[in-house]
Amino acid sequence: MANNKNSNYISIRDSRKILKYNIKQMKYYEGLKKRKLDVKEYTTVLKNENNIIEIENLKTCFFTDNGTVMSVNGVSFDIPKNKIIGVVGESGCGKSVTSLSIMQLVQAPQGQVIEGEIRFNADSLGYDENNQKLAYDIAKMPTKEMYKIRGKDITMIFQEPMTSLNPVFTIGYQLDEVLFIHTPNITKEAAKAHSIEMLKKVGISMPEHVYKSYPHELSGGMRQRVMIAMAIAGSPKLVIADEPTTALDVTIQAQILELLRDIQKKEQCSIMLITHDLGVIAEMADEVVVMYAGRVIERGTVHEIFHNPLHPYTKGLQKSKPLITSDKSEPLYSIPGQVPNPINLPNTCYFKNRCNKVCEKCSGDYPKTIKVSDTHYVSCYLYDESEVE
Amino acid sequence: MQEEKVLSTEQTPKYILEVKNLKKYFPLNKNLLGKPSAYLKAVDNVSFKVKAGETIGVVGESGCGKTTLGRTILKLYSSDGGEIFFDGKDITNLSKKEMVKYRTDMQLIFQDPYSSLPPRMTVGEIISEAVKVHNIVPANEVSSHVRSIMKKCGLQPQYYDRYPHEFSGGQRQRICIARALAVNPRLVICDEPVSALDVSIQAQIINLLKELQQNMGLTYVFISHDLSVVKYITDQIMVMYLGNVMELGETKEIFANPLHPYTKALFSAVPIPDPDAKMNRIILQGDIPSPANPPKGCKFHTRCSSCMNVCKFKEPLYVEAENNHFVSCHLYNEEVMNNMDKYEHLYQEYLKEQENSENEKGKNNEKGKKES
Repeated sequence: MANNKNSNYISIRDSRKILKYNIKQMKYYEGLKKRKLDVKEYTTVLKNENNIIEIENLKTCFFTDNGTVMSVNGVSFDIPKNKIIGVVGESGCGKSVTSLSIMQLVQAPQGQVIEGEIRFNADSLGYDENNQKLAYDIAKMPTKEMYKIRGKDITMIFQEPMTSLNPVFTIGYQLDEVLFIHTPNITKEAAKAHSIEMLKKVGISMPEHVYKSYPHELSGGMRQRVMIAMAIAGSPKLVIADEPTTALDVTIQAQILELLRDIQKKEQCSIMLITHDLGVIAEMADEVVVMYAGRVIERGTVHEIFHNPLHPYTKGLQKSKPLITSDKSEPLYSIPGQVPNPINLPNTCYFKNRCNKVCEKCSGDYPKTIKVSDTHYVSCYLYDESEVE
Repeated sequence: MQEEKVLSTEQTPKYILEVKNLKKYFPLNKNLLGKPSAYLKAVDNVSFKVKAGETIGVVGESGCGKTTLGRTILKLYSSDGGEIFFDGKDITNLSKKEMVKYRTDMQLIFQDPYSSLPPRMTVGEIISEAVKVHNIVPANEVSSHVRSIMKKCGLQPQYYDRYPHEFSGGQRQRICIARALAVNPRLVICDEPVSALDVSIQAQIINLLKELQQNMGLTYVFISHDLSVVKYITDQIMVMYLGNVMELGETKEIFANPLHPYTKALFSAVPIPDPDAKMNRIILQGDIPSPANPPKGCKFHTRCSSCMNVCKFKEPLYVEAENNHFVSCHLYNEEVMNNMDKYEHLYQEYLKEQENSENEKGKNNEKGKKES
């Protein structure tokens, strides 16, 4: 126990060291953002034209007073066009930070994207001489350029509909704002007409009335509908939904999920759905990414993840949720222990202390990502490359 | 003599908690004299019984009065009607001093383990506080008693001198449970004990609660909005909507055969973690009406898929549709279903009355305008 106590304790000298280091790092990364960049410097080539976003080896960290927290530590996955991608994981596993990195909304200067690429498939760029599709690299993109994409091509629905709408402006004002920013020379009347149409699209029965009202006059479900209307106002290519139904009741959740599925089909956009509820994922997603302590531990299609889970964590997660369809008898399976402290994680498998299938190999380096099938990847020593056909 | 025997056999199953027609109204819009003009009926006519060692689940959407019910049972809120029996004794009208005796028997576990632990007390102090106040064990044994309780709840005894901020959410919830159990209660009201926790931690806490129930013979009132958890842990389920009980029955029975349209919709709305699961989802339209201004008649009629005209003006009775399975819906009230014509007629009259009253209001308004 004494050891454990020591690990939480930081001497004044250490704390100064951390502070100095943090300031240096933050200055460096903030400086990078302010540089004037040529378009060529932040464009790259897409691997697959059918992807809307390709994330490769993304590392986002936070310089805190207790040390550097690697919130996202080498995450790679793709978001194909017209698909719903589900990201699951416990709190603190980096799923929200991944989405914020895509939006360039990580809390700066403490939070910085330090490595990796986020390639965004923008139609305006066209092809290069080798006939490969060009893409923006959001990780390097200057903030000014990002304004053009954020809120138009990539939009976000936040978890708390109560706090993410501005209480002092009407719904209409906040909806029109999206159009004024992204559509030049739009008239007030046209903006209003478009906003009301958006409100109709998300199933609000009295759009004219809601247009004039303030956020506090609406219920939680209605506010979330308004948030969705705002997200699709600029006909986006990717909507990031960060726990869109966590704050809502089950019956309202069913409504909102239905609406999201509908919108995805009508608007022909991709949705990145972040949630901790496996039920929501099973129902909505086409592909699933499972995250743990800042890393992707398993990803595959929804059928692969639910019918043939490979990583012990994915299996444990599924077993530990009581099912409404099953009968109770034996005690619920529970994963022992808790999520590790995110500061100074060792370069071994983070799950090994909680894993029920831990073996000798596990104390080695962090396991590599193993390709099980074309769509199914897992990082675990249980699945040797030799076993894979 | 025979009748008496029958009665006595009926009384044998001992109910540790019995609630009859419990009401809790919160006053709204106080006028100049301090008299409220309207009431928010947070809990309205709720009745149920729990046997010792069993668990009753209270489910419903936010704002349906689950938490208020829990607090009224503990008399943290004074009730506005109805009776609460604890272990056969009426505790409804006991004064605060008299309640002290019962405080050790009834305990509460809160939802948010982050805000329900005092940050300036050590774990040992938190757990031992109530033990000292109620003299549960002699003063020199307090520390060992607390340590044994901590062990039962899966906390290492070394944590005795630590502060709550050093613990994660799951561990904090264990501290909350240990605090509640330190005074040897018989009834524990769990107010959403796992909804603030992650899935893997949730399972740990649920298993702990079940284990403690078996070892210590506890009775739980388990308040939650997560139906899958409720199904796992409870013996009986009570479904609430806007302060009213919609359905009450044994867990197995209610899940196998939900009667009330609201219960059906609620159960079907739970996402199932299986991509091939067939969805026969009933999606409820609209939002929950404001509890301050609930609809007339059946409170659920605005969202009900099988709404009839009767539902719009007549409140349904709370009937026993099947053995030990209570439901408040006109569909299961034979008297209503057999006399549909009569109620149709009454509905027309009700509509006329409404029109008349609205017309009068309109006239009054016009008069007022003219006079002014």
